[in-house]
Amino acid sequence: MPEALAPPTRQLGPIATIVLQFALVLLVIWQFRLESRTFLHVMALLGAGFVVHALLPLRLRLPFFSVLSLATVLVAFGLWDGAFLIALGMALIGICHLPLPLAARVGLLLATGALFAVWRAEWLPAPWSVAIWPILGSMFMFRLALYVYALKHDERRPTLARTLAYFFMAPNVCFPLYPVVDYATFVRTHYDRDAAHIYETGMRWIARGLLHLILYRFVYLYLVVDPAQMVNLGQLVQFVLATFLLYLRVSGQFHLITGVLHLFGFRLPETHHLYYLASSFTDFWRRINIYWKDFMTKLVYYPSFFRLRRRGTRLAAIVATVAVFAGTWILHSYQWFWLRGGFPIEAQDGLFWGILCILVVFGSLRELKRPAKRTLAGGPRWSLSLALRTVGIFATICLLWSLWSADSVSGWLTMWIVAANATPRDLVVLAALFAGGLLVAGRPWSVREPDVATAQPLYRRPAVRSTAVLVGLLLVGATDFYARIVPPAAAMVASLQRSTLNARDAALQHKGYYEKLDNASRMSMNVWEIQGAKPAHWVALSSTPAYRWRGDFVRGDLRPGASVIFLDRPLTVNRWGMRNRDVPQAKPAGTYRIAFLGPSIVMGSGVGDGETLSVFLEERLNAMADGGRRYEVLNFAVADCSLVEQLALLQERVLAFEPDAVFFADSPRLQGPIVSQLLNAVFKGAPIPYPGLEDLLRRTGAFALADKGVPVPFQSVRAGFGMLGVPTRMPWPEAEHRMRLAAADVVRWTLRSIAEVTRAHGAVPVFVLLDNVGNPGKEVVPAVREAADRGLLAIDLTGVWQDHDQAALRIAPWDNHPNAAGNRLMAARLVELMQQQAGALHLGTRGEKPRG
Amino acid sequence: VDDIVRDVKAYILDTYLPGENPQALTPTTPLITSGILNSLATLDLVTFLEGRYGLELEASDLDHERLGTLENIARLVQSKLATRK
Repeated sequence: MPEALAPPTRQLGPIATIVLQFALVLLVIWQFRLESRTFLHVMALLGAGFVVHALLPLRLRLPFFSVLSLATVLVAFGLWDGAFLIALGMALIGICHLPLPLAARVGLLLATGALFAVWRAEWLPAPWSVAIWPILGSMFMFRLALYVYALKHDERRPTLARTLAYFFMAPNVCFPLYPVVDYATFVRTHYDRDAAHIYETGMRWIARGLLHLILYRFVYLYLVVDPAQMVNLGQLVQFVLATFLLYLRVSGQFHLITGVLHLFGFRLPETHHLYYLASSFTDFWRRINIYWKDFMTKLVYYPSFFRLRRRGTRLAAIVATVAVFAGTWILHSYQWFWLRGGFPIEAQDGLFWGILCILVVFGSLRELKRPAKRTLAGGPRWSLSLALRTVGIFATICLLWSLWSADSVSGWLTMWIVAANATPRDLVVLAALFAGGLLVAGRPWSVREPDVATAQPLYRRPAVRSTAVLVGLLLVGATDFYARIVPPAAAMVASLQRSTLNARDAALQHKGYYEKLDNASRMSMNVWEIQGAKPAHWVALSSTPAYRWRGDFVRGDLRPGASVIFLDRPLTVNRWGMRNRDVPQAKPAGTYRIAFLGPSIVMGSGVGDGETLSVFLEERLNAMADGGRRYEVLNFAVADCSLVEQLALLQERVLAFEPDAVFFADSPRLQGPIVSQLLNAVFKGAPIPYPGLEDLLRRTGAFALADKGVPVPFQSVRAGFGMLGVPTRMPWPEAEHRMRLAAADVVRWTLRSIAEVTRAHGAVPVFVLLDNVGNPGKEVVPAVREAADRGLLAIDLTGVWQDHDQAALRIAPWDNHPNAAGNRLMAARLVELMQQQAGALHLGTRGEKPRG
Repeated sequence: VDDIVRDVKAYILDTYLPGENPQALTPTTPLITSGILNSLATLDLVTFLEGRYGLELEASDLDHERLGTLENIARLVQSKLATRK
């Protein structure tokens, strides 16, 4: 009698071991704060569910797993949204079983899918949260095809419990990106071996998944570099490597998911198999996301091949492979639609899948001609040929992956400019990487472990190995124990225990607020997890009537007299183009006027008209005012206003209001908006109103962006085209790269100009460094010191959020702008810091704390 | 069934596992999950089975359940031959 069918009491020992290991798993998830809080709750529920499930008679286990899976939906979404998700899913399942011909059922499924798509795109109102769609999508978008395929080809009718378990399977509710589990495999592998062996395998995969997820955090935080900031070959290689290594998150999640499914008896195959060690392109395709390869093989490759094989095996294999890759590209966008909204069709995707397709086709043809030799017993201990092939494939896939992940093809090409700048250290590191790669890749790692448990030494037993991994992770995570001995290591591990954005994504998210550059298809999973919940009507200010696009040096400003609802709050603009109550231009007697320039934080994105930083600042200063003096703080801020634009607005409108002090505010990432604005001006051919600045910009060569012609990267290539009479221009990414190299000089020039102009008009120039809600970065922002060096008073407000409940100070979980309480807090801190420079500011306030 | 297992085993050993110990390939050795049969090798095997036994396979026959082991392949061939009769 197979062990799976044996009474559960005979499995008590292994079950107890799994329970202990699962407790370690929960501790690791808690300690490293992996994934979301919902994930921890769902895993705790599944841990308890495992005990009950494992002790139930076999016939009751599948129904129990179905109920448990449905319960995870309710835990994750709550009763209301969870019930809707289940109801919508049940409608799809119901259609599959209608007493109609298969074609009619498929037609109905497509029509229902189209209706769901309308809801997903938020074109129709719905009583449920938009957050249910990524999960509902991931449950049904591919599994429905496999289920219908099984209904057509398999004579065995599915039971209700099996169907519910298949579609709503835990822990899908925590993972929008979910392996495409094949229905036939799901059925076939359920308790088809000894239960204890299945559970052990599952726990090993869970431990492996956790390890991948923690390694991913390390890669994400410490290896990913911003391509716009790269200056040498070493950083370029690091970037290219890191983009591929980021895939660890997907493989980690998939190992974790299939591991959990093992604990409920589903002995599913591996989802990834040593994909960094593929020795050919066909091998790579077969190792990475194996379920997807199987899905495409089953539904596209074999049917295409069989339809065409009478015309010759080679032709049929080529066409079938092309169909698989074309389908993968389209289905990738289809998946994106359900998970993130939008349907990206981009050149990088086409190039990635196209090039990979060509490489796999050539590999397939070669294999058809000369089948690769397999081995049952393992190959030599180390092989140079294997090492060279594997390193070559890894390097090529890294290159392709970096192209796929790039913002644009021209951006990807442009980043190679820095390859010419190689330091000796870069070359040594590259050589060491190559040698290390050969050492690792030459071993025949691909030999599978025996499928049936055989006698093994204690240290190789699955239970011992997975427990060792889990305990090891817990010890590494216990930073308090070794923080005094190796503080840097403890600090690094502590940083892995938070789910924070890396510098690149923080910059991207910051840009996204203003410039709509948060291209959904290029957004990292980390940013997307935050942005995915953003309602569709939360658009950039520039998409509202309150914003006025200008054709000159300044990109845009607030439309005088505008009144809109922006980010669910009223935003009113006075006749002068300020987000401010109406004021006379002439300064009233006895009034100390502060003009506040800055970006969206100062303008007050996501807060009401009476809840901005300038309003609270004015209130505080007046509450402290001495001797009948009155304070006015005029809000001249505009979302996405760079420091250079602040200089332009200062001269254009601010000085006419006779300010006593002018506050220029920007974030630590102030170079980004400056580069973006200047490129915009250059591209449009807008005159640069400052000769000194124009001179700086001309030296970058970025003015070639405004030439008429086809965008072609690299000066030498453009020159070649020019000799052939083909007009060309510099592409945007190359101009951006060049402009970034000069950005620090532009900041210094701007600060000096601001100080000179402001002081020439008798006002005190103040530079305020501030940021959205979050912990300040560790790097020193040079702009504060540079502002002070150039005669501005410098105030750093970036530490204001520390030691506060940051979630309570944001306007929304997906938007870090400060809410009313956040603005009040900033105003209070700003007043404190102003008090410290009261003499230089000529404030004349009482030294007491403000009331209220 | 044994004859079919023997024929297919000889074909697989000859085509994909030359020089390997024949004893290591048993009727229950996983062929797909172990990487011996990938999609291309599966198509080659189909051509072999169709030519050797004069039967016709369909795309839906090519799954783990039917081709996962020598035993399963033999059962598939047998059922196809029975249907033909």
